[in-house]
Amino acid sequence: MLKELVKEEFTQDIAKGAVLVDFYSSTCSPCKMLAFILKDIEKTLGDQVTIIKVNFEENPDLIEEHKVEGYPTLVMFKDGEELSRKSGLQQKPVIIKMIEEAL
Amino acid sequence: MRKYDLVVIGAGPAGMTAAIYGVRANLKVLMLEKLAPGGQMINTNEIENYPGAGKVNGSELALQMFEHAQELGVEFDYKTVTKIESIEDSKRIYTEEDDEVIEALTIIVATGTRPRTLNIPGEEEFKGSAISWCAICDGAKYRDKDVVVIGGGNSAVDEGTYLATIAKSLTIITDLELTADPVSCDYLRSLPNVNVFPYKRVVEFVGKGGEFTGIKFVDKETGENEQVIECDGVFEYIGAIPYTDFLEKTTILGSGGFLEVNERMETTIPGVFGAGDCNSKHLRQVVTATADGAIAAQEASAYIKALRRKEV
Ligand SMILES: Cc1cc2nc3c(=O)[nH]c(=O)nc-3n(C[C@H](O)[C@H](O)[C@H](O)COP(=O)(O)OP(=O)(O)OC[C@H]3O[C@@H](n4cnc5c(N)ncnc54)[C@H](O)[C@@H]3O)c2cc1C
Repeated sequence: MLKELVKEEFTQDIAKGAVLVDFYSSTCSPCKMLAFILKDIEKTLGDQVTIIKVNFEENPDLIEEHKVEGYPTLVMFKDGEELSRKSGLQQKPVIIKMIEEAL
Repeated sequence: MRKYDLVVIGAGPAGMTAAIYGVRANLKVLMLEKLAPGGQMINTNEIENYPGAGKVNGSELALQMFEHAQELGVEFDYKTVTKIESIEDSKRIYTEEDDEVIEALTIIVATGTRPRTLNIPGEEEFKGSAISWCAICDGAKYRDKDVVVIGGGNSAVDEGTYLATIAKSLTIITDLELTADPVSCDYLRSLPNVNVFPYKRVVEFVGKGGEFTGIKFVDKETGENEQVIECDGVFEYIGAIPYTDFLEKTTILGSGGFLEVNERMETTIPGVFGAGDCNSKHLRQVVTATADGAIAAQEASAYIKALRRKEV
């Protein structure tokens, strides 16, 4: 599943299973390309991973809480624990590997 | 072994155009890309000089080109090419990701460039934290902070203009004047939070206790008049080096590692062509990259036709 952040649900959402969080900005060009790649990944892995998109500008509290410095930043959670993180645009197979390590 | 008429290395505007022209010439085409389709366009927020596109975001233009290529039947794979070989009329392509060897009749190298670095004290220590090469990626953390851009060419002026909308102050340090197009330079100079230091040479990234504090520079000509500017982050735009390391053992590279090609985009290896920013050329833009890609693919098609005539 791929969805935009619903703030009240975030803590509950990342608490269980494999969750990939994409901290993005609507004005950032590499973020747009990453969004395209994530949509593509959702087609094949969407039933195993939840992808949550968090807007950088609108969520300063989450940015600070998760110490996100730039965008795009991908953070992979498994049962609420951060497993891995990558900043900057990533190759599709690298993102798939991040997800598979959390399954 | 997978076999193609044409393997295009790199999916920037040059590679994607080459792939489109390749399939339209009835070639079986594979395009290989190590990161994502789009190349340098992905790092460009607004492209304003690609005819017909008006003001367009780089990734949006990249996706339009990519979808166009896919609709026409270009095969695409995420792979980083590490070596090519030319054995008689056939080419072999090796990649970092696995042991597969891909065979092709022709190759178009369209691998673009990466940013040049200064190689001065402090650069290694602060790269990735206080020193960046991508304003669009890292600019956000400098809201209301003091930022320096090193360089005065097209990229420095474009990215500087973007950073000036975020940062409290933007200082540009360049070893010449601003050399981008005059309209963009005048606009940047006119911004109230921008200060330009021309004819300077940056000599050190300064830190204290592991924390970045600023940059030291001198007069370019005399090496004197040392100054330090305190700032929170630096963006370097001092030119580009080609992604051609994997061709080092071939004979097709010229000065600076750029590919030497003729007006047909032919290298000295028959069947291997170069296109876009990785070529030795004067103007590195999306429009010149796409033009190179079109020419290279047409020539690849002509080369294959000649090969097939030779076979009968
Ligand atoms: C900040 C900035 C702003 C710019 N603004 C403009 C503008 O406004 N207008 C304009 O026209 N131009 C602009 N340009 C220039 C323009 O982006 C480039 O000229 C153009 O993208 C070059 O296209 P290319 O296909 O030759 O190379 P690239 O776009 O660099 O693409 C090369 C591709 O090859 C891939 N690659 C490299 N090595 C390998 C390998 N070994 N295996 C597989 N893949 C590989 C790379 O990952 C990349 O995707 C700008 C450039 C920058 C940096």
